[in-house]
Amino acid sequence: MQRRNFLNALAAVGALGSLPLSVSRSFAAGAAADQGRVAVNSGAVSVDQLPPLEGDLTLYLGRGEGGLYENVLEAIRKRNPGLNLQVRRGSTAALANSIVAEAKAGVRRADLFWAVDSGAIGLVADAGLARALPADLTGQLKSGFRYPRWAPVTGRIRTLPYNTERVTPEQIPDSVMALADSDLTLGWAPAYASFQSFVTAMRLLEGEKATADWLRGVSKHATSYAGELGVVMAVERGEVDLGFANHYYTLRLKNGKPDASVDLAFTRNDAGCLVNASGILALSEGDLPINFMRYLLSREVQSYLASEAYEIPLVSGVQPPQGLPPLGSISPPKVDLTELADLRPTLKLMRSVGVL
Amino acid sequence: MFALLAAGQVSANGAIGDHVNDLKGHLAQYSEEVNWLLGKYDGVVGTYEKQGQKAVDTQDLVDFWEEVDFHSAIETNYVPVYANIWQGIYGIKQAIEAGKPAAEVRAEQEKLNSAFWQALGAVKLASQYQEKGLLAKVQTTEAEPTTMPETLEDIKHRLDRVVAKYAERLPEAATTIVHDTYLNRFEGVEGALIEQDAALVEDLEKDFNVTLPKALESESSVDSVRKVVEAMQVKLDKAKALLVEAEKNRKDVF
Repeated sequence: MQRRNFLNALAAVGALGSLPLSVSRSFAAGAAADQGRVAVNSGAVSVDQLPPLEGDLTLYLGRGEGGLYENVLEAIRKRNPGLNLQVRRGSTAALANSIVAEAKAGVRRADLFWAVDSGAIGLVADAGLARALPADLTGQLKSGFRYPRWAPVTGRIRTLPYNTERVTPEQIPDSVMALADSDLTLGWAPAYASFQSFVTAMRLLEGEKATADWLRGVSKHATSYAGELGVVMAVERGEVDLGFANHYYTLRLKNGKPDASVDLAFTRNDAGCLVNASGILALSEGDLPINFMRYLLSREVQSYLASEAYEIPLVSGVQPPQGLPPLGSISPPKVDLTELADLRPTLKLMRSVGVL
Repeated sequence: MFALLAAGQVSANGAIGDHVNDLKGHLAQYSEEVNWLLGKYDGVVGTYEKQGQKAVDTQDLVDFWEEVDFHSAIETNYVPVYANIWQGIYGIKQAIEAGKPAAEVRAEQEKLNSAFWQALGAVKLASQYQEKGLLAKVQTTEAEPTTMPETLEDIKHRLDRVVAKYAERLPEAATTIVHDTYLNRFEGVEGALIEQDAALVEDLEKDFNVTLPKALESESSVDSVRKVVEAMQVKLDKAKALLVEAEKNRKDVF
């Protein structure tokens, strides 16, 4: 049904003939050869328009959202009986280090790396191991998320979940930096990887000193939690006024508990509304790894991850999860997501001010 | 019980040994070791009974158990009894160190003996499953669960190991398992679970982050820690049922 609607919609705008053509041309073309020749921003493509996957592929998969990434892989397997997909699972950071170590040892075991954190992608890309991607593939992605050697798959936004009975939206500053001096009680999870990526973004945008001052300021009126769902639940219980967390925890809580006393606020143009991404890169040559990536960027997979995992589709033309404002109405900072790999100075900074 | 026969795990005590993947071929050895252990513990308690505390080195009680291959056979196949064995060993050790009457030490020894026999029975049953190919090969590296129900089973098994490590008098190792299990396992399923039952997630969040760590820190008895874990496992079973049902209603990817 969904597929039929999509085809109808395409036909209605007269796009049915042109989209597959540009895509199919790119399948035969060399990765970099098409750079600049294929129209960008072609939007999401249906799996019906993708070539079958045949051959052997080894994917290194960082831990995903529950079993939902596994569901995606299983669906791809079922649809492509000629594909022999081997998957090695582990923490994203450990797999990134394995890939780099294997390369140094002169071996390559993975053809693809799907990571939940763009910082880990940066680690592998910085080692010169990622293949260049064809322009039609990167062109499907939303503006600001097009990288030559890796493809963001889905996004997550840093948000400020707040207790709707304790705080009004007017009381929440639209600058994350201002929260250090506010009189709101805060919840955070400093040991949590997403929080550390956010601090890294702040460090890159605002500098070391401002970030250290912010951490010191916030720590005076912040309660620590182990994870960011814990932060959101504490906000909902009213233990704190406001927290720092990725968007999906709040959406999922509200789905399970529609009367939950929590809503989302966003800062503007700073690390407080960073859009981070999971991503995939190809390590080996040939069409197969690239075509596998196309499946993850397909309309169906993007829609699935949006509706089932509340992740933000980064391919044009796919609806974001319910309960979230359109990506276009949010003003994330301009940060090269692969630079978030530079975690060591962040941890050093957090330790030096006593929040870790 | 079959659900508790767990493969795909790593011993915290060093090399497991290939024998765990050929339980049937080693049953005679395990029986011999259990009998040897029964005799050794009986000897220590007998010495205490006749010659008093100074005649006994209670560290021997730990060393005997660590010496046998049966140790890893039960650790890799039936962690709850593994915990009982450690609990029994320390029951004797502490009773002797506290200078308790011999009858009380004998009572602790009886509990340990029961745990050994129960363990031998569990390994015999596991050997039958293994022979029929129903038991996965014991891995020397950690296996990653791929679905949410598998993840919840893995969490339950890890919690059994928390009790085992605590019974082994390794509270820091037990606490580390709790933290790792929360961050690397529970975090992955609680997003989906909260859509089904927000109160259950809240409850388990508290268990992982407050109740269980506090029980481990406060020098509670092994039985107290086990009760916390068992209560969590009941909640995890409920979580599993909810997620299995939710998965049935999930839309197809394609």
